[in-house]
Amino acid sequence: MSDTTRNRIMLVIAILMAAIYLFPLYWMYITALKGGSEMFATPPSFWPGDPQWGTFGYVWESRGMGRYLWNSLVIAVGAVTLITVLGVGCAYVLARYRNVWVDIGLFMILMLQVLPASLMVTPIFVGFSQLGMLDYPRLAVIIAIAAKSMPFFVVLVRATFMAVPMELEEAALVDGNSRVGAFFSIVLPLARNGILVSAILIFMQAFGEFVYSKSMIQAAELQPASVGLNSFMGPNTNEWNNIMAYATMYVTPILAIFVLLQRRIVSGLTSGALK
Amino acid sequence: MTNQIELSGVNKHYGAFHALKNINLSIAKGTFVALVGPSGCGKSTLLRSLAGLESISEGELKIAGELMNNVPPRKRDVAMVFQSYALYPHMTVEENLTYSLRIRGVAKAQAKKAAEEVAATTGLSHLLKRYPRELSGGQRQRVAMSRAIIRHPKAFLFDEPLSNLDAALRVHMRKEIRALHDRLHATSVYVTHDQIEAMTMADHVVVMREGVIEQQGKPLDLYDKPANKFVAGFIGSPAMNFIPAVAGEDGRSLTIDLGSVKHKIAIDHQIQPGRKVTAGIRPEHIGVTAPGQGTFDVPVAVVESTGSSTFVTAATTPELTIVETGRGTARAGETVGVTVDPSQLHLFDDASGVRL
Repeated sequence: MSDTTRNRIMLVIAILMAAIYLFPLYWMYITALKGGSEMFATPPSFWPGDPQWGTFGYVWESRGMGRYLWNSLVIAVGAVTLITVLGVGCAYVLARYRNVWVDIGLFMILMLQVLPASLMVTPIFVGFSQLGMLDYPRLAVIIAIAAKSMPFFVVLVRATFMAVPMELEEAALVDGNSRVGAFFSIVLPLARNGILVSAILIFMQAFGEFVYSKSMIQAAELQPASVGLNSFMGPNTNEWNNIMAYATMYVTPILAIFVLLQRRIVSGLTSGALK
Repeated sequence: MTNQIELSGVNKHYGAFHALKNINLSIAKGTFVALVGPSGCGKSTLLRSLAGLESISEGELKIAGELMNNVPPRKRDVAMVFQSYALYPHMTVEENLTYSLRIRGVAKAQAKKAAEEVAATTGLSHLLKRYPRELSGGQRQRVAMSRAIIRHPKAFLFDEPLSNLDAALRVHMRKEIRALHDRLHATSVYVTHDQIEAMTMADHVVVMREGVIEQQGKPLDLYDKPANKFVAGFIGSPAMNFIPAVAGEDGRSLTIDLGSVKHKIAIDHQIQPGRKVTAGIRPEHIGVTAPGQGTFDVPVAVVESTGSSTFVTAATTPELTIVETGRGTARAGETVGVTVDPSQLHLFDDASGVRL
């Protein structure tokens, strides 16, 4: 088999795989545009015959999506800010010091990552309710998400810090800076890309978070879009086009961020983004 | 002359590992000191202790008369050039140069002027706006040097600064660093594993092994009178020949044992009769003559010529290396006579390696 033939076969396989992965997304978009009868047509149509653009406006208004997305944004931004402020310092220490206690700390951090949110939600709920934090349900969710996603962030950012050579810091120390000054003027600027990428990944996770929000936020006007989408669905749901229009409006911004930044994200994850 | 750097009884432990063992070293103001030794000998640890990047476990460390044991690096006023140069990748050359000044609160215009002055002396003027990644290895090296110069520190510390350069540039930079040192009337401590760098650049060479200073002194003193077998083998290239030998009954002669060749040679000082010693002779101190004309004859195994000199390896045990100046007369497979001048022989105790 010649190289070009093999490359072509590989390409076909790659396209096929991509098509399988992206099919649900495609189905979401076309279903959102289909009319009531077209949705249930057999055989299904793969392109909407009569695109119903009005569905989006209708869903946005009737479900109060602006409020839901705002809540999602508040929760995501809050969680990312909290995680970044606390996690950067933690990751730096774990990157620079090597001893038994650091190893134990790292192991504990990874253990936290293993526990699923649905397992953690009950004790967190009880604890928060005792502390009276459920009176500020969005803050409660932000803290819960921060606890859940911090390990992921710390592990990623630690790798970034480890890619910053120790000698640069030592040079800064000899040049007359303090440890803290060297961190802010040398290490942080060099690790910026890695931190940014990790923060974006955390943001996207937090933007779609469901379990904590569903259990801790009772008031509909404080719920994020993920919970709003869930409350849209019931046992007898048949307005799939409206649900898909909701989903479209929910995920398209995240998708857009990812597409715009995907090169940076991939390189940030693989190389530590330092040269 | 006052001592710029003074170390007395310095020890350094990393857990159970004893990295520096009772180091005593005085560095006079304006001298260029080379710390040399094989990797893991503690020379870098010693340098880093001077910079304050490592703390010493015991002893006293003084810079310009002040006790520096627990003073953080930023307050020691020393400049360091790292092996990897450690240029700040996110800053331009100018920002790299002025970093230390800006931390000290020097006015922007003044810092810029200082950078321009230093850059002019090191040939970096046209590169001030570039980033380190846009520079060649040699240029980066210059930036690292300039970053140290701009501060007028109490001492310059060099950590193998030339090891990442190619051979030709290395030889060139050797001279340049030395010239710079003289021009600035600086005090420099230079770590290297390359004994040629140490010999050619330094006023004072410190040979270290396993955390111990084996010998220190002027470069040629170390070459002429190595204190022990280790220093003798480390200083000089190609390395000194070591031949097992036994002192004769009169104590004025030696029987050297080269496997197939055993020969009795006179020595110029008295040693204990029958004592087992190691005789050291530098390759460049052995002469080649026609068979039967020299002190003794050896079979030739390999002849390597560099043009300016010829390396002859004799087929003996241990192998004997001889350096002839210019085109050699020896041919591989033949037998040649060799001449050994007794005054050029170094004798070391067989067990301890100490010079006799």
